[in-house]
Amino acid sequence: MRLASLAWRGVAARPLRSALTVASIAVGVAVVTATLVANQASTDAVRRAAQELLGEASVRVRAFDPAGFTPRAVTTLRELPGVTAAAPVGERRLTVATPPGPDEQVFTLTAIAVDPVVEPDVRDPHVVAGVPLSPDVPTGVLLNAAWAAEHRQAVGDQLLIIGRLPSAPALEIVGLVDDVGLGALESGELLIMSRDQLNAALPVSAPVASVDLVVAPGRLPDVQAALDAQLREPFVVETAADAQVRLARAQTAFAPIAFLFGLVALVVGGFLVANTLAMTLTERTRELGLLRAAGTTGRQVLALFVRQGLIFGVAGSIVGVVAGIGLAALMIGFLRATRAVLVDGLPVTPAVVLVPALLGVAVTVAAAALPARQASLVTPLEALRPSRRPGASLGDRVRAIVLIELAVVAIGIVAYPFERGAAPVPAIVLALALLVGAAVASTWLLLPLSRVIGRPFEWFFGAEGMLGRANLGRDRVRTGLTVGALMVALASVVALGTVADSARAAAERWIASVLPGGTAIRLALPEEIEAFRATFAQTPGVAATSPIAEFPAVVTAEGAAREVSLAAIDPTVFQDAGTFIFTSGTRAAAFNALRAGGAVLVPEPMAVRDGVGVGDVLELGRPGGVAAPYTVAGVIAYTLPARSPDGAIIVSLADAAAQFGVTTAGLWAMVPEPGITPAAFRQSVGETAQALAAEPIDVTQLAGELARSFDRLIGLFDVLALVAVAVAAAGIVNALAVGVAERRREIAILRSHGMTVGQVQAMVVAEAAIMGAIGGLLAAGTGLAVAWAMIVAGAPRDFGAGLSVPWPLLVATFLLGIGVASVAGLYPARVAARQPIVSSLSHFE
Amino acid sequence: MSSPILEARDLVKTYPAGAGAVEALRGTSLSVSRGEFVALMGPSGSGKSTMLQLLGGLDTPTSGTVVIDGVELGALDEEGRTLTRRAKTGFVFQFFNLIPLLSVAENVALPFLIAGGSVGEHRPRVNELLALVGLAHKADHRPDQLSAGEQQRVALARALAPSPAILLADEPTGNLDYTTGAEILDLLWDSSERLGQTIVLVTHDARAAAYADRVLVIRDGMVRDEIPLGRRADHAPAPLIRRLASLGL
Repeated sequence: MRLASLAWRGVAARPLRSALTVASIAVGVAVVTATLVANQASTDAVRRAAQELLGEASVRVRAFDPAGFTPRAVTTLRELPGVTAAAPVGERRLTVATPPGPDEQVFTLTAIAVDPVVEPDVRDPHVVAGVPLSPDVPTGVLLNAAWAAEHRQAVGDQLLIIGRLPSAPALEIVGLVDDVGLGALESGELLIMSRDQLNAALPVSAPVASVDLVVAPGRLPDVQAALDAQLREPFVVETAADAQVRLARAQTAFAPIAFLFGLVALVVGGFLVANTLAMTLTERTRELGLLRAAGTTGRQVLALFVRQGLIFGVAGSIVGVVAGIGLAALMIGFLRATRAVLVDGLPVTPAVVLVPALLGVAVTVAAAALPARQASLVTPLEALRPSRRPGASLGDRVRAIVLIELAVVAIGIVAYPFERGAAPVPAIVLALALLVGAAVASTWLLLPLSRVIGRPFEWFFGAEGMLGRANLGRDRVRTGLTVGALMVALASVVALGTVADSARAAAERWIASVLPGGTAIRLALPEEIEAFRATFAQTPGVAATSPIAEFPAVVTAEGAAREVSLAAIDPTVFQDAGTFIFTSGTRAAAFNALRAGGAVLVPEPMAVRDGVGVGDVLELGRPGGVAAPYTVAGVIAYTLPARSPDGAIIVSLADAAAQFGVTTAGLWAMVPEPGITPAAFRQSVGETAQALAAEPIDVTQLAGELARSFDRLIGLFDVLALVAVAVAAAGIVNALAVGVAERRREIAILRSHGMTVGQVQAMVVAEAAIMGAIGGLLAAGTGLAVAWAMIVAGAPRDFGAGLSVPWPLLVATFLLGIGVASVAGLYPARVAARQPIVSSLSHFE
Repeated sequence: MSSPILEARDLVKTYPAGAGAVEALRGTSLSVSRGEFVALMGPSGSGKSTMLQLLGGLDTPTSGTVVIDGVELGALDEEGRTLTRRAKTGFVFQFFNLIPLLSVAENVALPFLIAGGSVGEHRPRVNELLALVGLAHKADHRPDQLSAGEQQRVALARALAPSPAILLADEPTGNLDYTTGAEILDLLWDSSERLGQTIVLVTHDARAAAYADRVLVIRDGMVRDEIPLGRRADHAPAPLIRRLASLGL
């Protein structure tokens, strides 16, 4: 036998504790692995979806005008020299319903209108069930498979277009498509069908938004030249790379936050490794003293402990990577099922395996450093002392843990594998620093808090509660870090819930500030403003209405043109309703300038980024057309959502009509008369919308749509946070089991004085419950602070409403802490109660 | 001395050891009268501590019966034995008798706390016992602020707290120096003399056993000899030592 084998024996001597420690590291490694794999799967999926979107086509020619290309333009494109196939794609909103009956469902989807004859030459529809569109079945439609599953739609089912012409037949679902190509658009909320069939079903044709061109080899330059020369309507040319950028922008970034949870789980694992080795040190101090007396050097003892840490780290990393790949499969399945993010395959590359494995080993070895150093300082005299060695001072131990965890954070950030430009790195660092800081602070707060929080438990459990509370002070670093680990995990749950609530509140505030009256009607297609004005204005209970017409334009600066979105409004209606929050400029002057003409309101993010202020002039126009100067009359905190990520620049309807020829609008804001009840107003607006086959929408609904994909991701993150809670529960089992082992004799004395088996169990469970209560309480405060960090440092502009405190969640987290810890305490409680009194009385140290 | 308060009949205790078994007690019996102070002596491994554990209900015999104050332990389940122990016995051990996280007063009140009471409810009794062991002024101290002798005095006060029918002490002076050990023995004597406390003391020290009214010598798992000493205020060990020597101990 070699001295080094003592490390193995140390691991094997406590199989449960070793297994829990390995598991705690494995979980952190697994979450990091799963995050990296899922992130890679998302990147791959976006790339593939973009490539498949264009299919065989070399370029997509997109109509600049919302009215789309005219039939003449489509013909021109089809006949361009070098073009072998041209596939027009139309888009419009469409409300469809399942056949009438008790289970009738109504959906509002984006209809993607294609030519079934040309489509096979351009792209694969990626049908996963049923058949592709075919001219033989003109009423056939394709649905996104995941969406269809979620809404219980299957091949062979029928759909009816709301507002269809009497002659239009029902649509038949002929196939379900994957999340690639056309099926990847609109988060899967779409319906792919024949353009001819769609146009025949409704009074107004769907605009041709784009035409995808298949070009003969080597003829692309000719086609581009011919486009400029022959196409008379404004257009934008997009390649697969452009489509990829657009699709990627539409994805909700989940990887940075998931990575944060991986680091959190590793931090928790690091605490538990440090704790486990510290416990081993406590138990083996006498043995180490004997080894030292026999001539073992301090360096050899150090190596022994580091080796033991390495065993935990390597085992945890191997298990973690394997489990992580399994978790990645689940995560990808979840993301696919919820359609929150495009994901594809299970890409296990060397990087996604090595980075987490090395992180796991590094965290473990770093966590082993302090106990190893303390072990190396054990003197031969320790073997002779009758009681166990108290160990290093609280301050020393806590300082070391801080250093360990900071090292983890540093390694994590260095190894951070994502696009740094898009990731809220400062928010991640700040959030982790808060979590680690609070976990360390919990070692100091443990006893003062236990005196207050422990009272109800003492009242409930009696002497067992009192003894349970007193036990918390026995090794307050160990207990503090165990509570800290639980707190970190629970704080993650609180932070997520708070961020989600704040996001919803911000979205509501955003929409409320930009939508006069808080209610609108969305038409399936933009309609002539003047033709419909009377219809909207005469809706009972409506005081005023304003069309909102979104259209694209280009802003010219220093000779370069950039595409932006404009929204035309009625300034008087918006002013009277108190719409828009001005961060620069005055409300009255700004609206007066809009009415006078030649003025715009600019959203704040754009103003900040481009350095634009009130009084500056923007050159706005159509591509290839004449630009006109527009003076910035005000900067607004939020603006109407638009195709452009910045949102819309606001302009008056009069200017939009005069310079841009905009005479149609797809959205009408509805302002209620004073005194009308919300329910009556909602009903009145709903009746008008129904008559126009349009959608009535309100602030809550719009905000819900904005927050929806974020909500779905929050579900995923909650699962990851609960995994960290499970790791922390393992830590509680570990710490309590060791505490019970250390107190064997003490428990036997209590038993000898008449404490029953049930009372012993209650004592240990009470101790666990108090730990959980303290963890839950600290988690509430820390979680709010972390949410604040994520909001303020991560995305301040997205959360203008600030922090929204979810009180029910805070209470639920507190109770969850007590519940999880109590359950974790059951096993040690059982062990404690089963200790034979007689043999325990002869046990000492 | 009156009727037996503690009786053990034909106690057998075997422990599994490898393929076979070790017999710690081989069918031995004893009887202790109310108010009596009995010492159990014997060489290491003779079974005296096992006997004490069975008498206190800490362990169950392989066969035989123990009756404490009219209650037959063999007829009780684990819970019943625990409650009987709580009501009728007090223990003092050699090492680490106290709960380090509780104050001196709380340690003394521990049997009341376990029974669902509070320190406040039993404060007069706690103070009385602390005065008995001379530690009234250290009621709020923690065990680690006390000397080994003081800790053992607290343990004794705790064992006496519920006025147990019988006090069982397992080598209570084994970890103490001579003077401190004598103080503990004096306290045991006082409780026997003044309170009429029944005591069973396990010891290998003849000077400690000399405080007893009667000494039972255990060898090879059986009570082999009985040495009646009578109640003696001087606790002189010489007669006992002579008798033990004659028995080859």
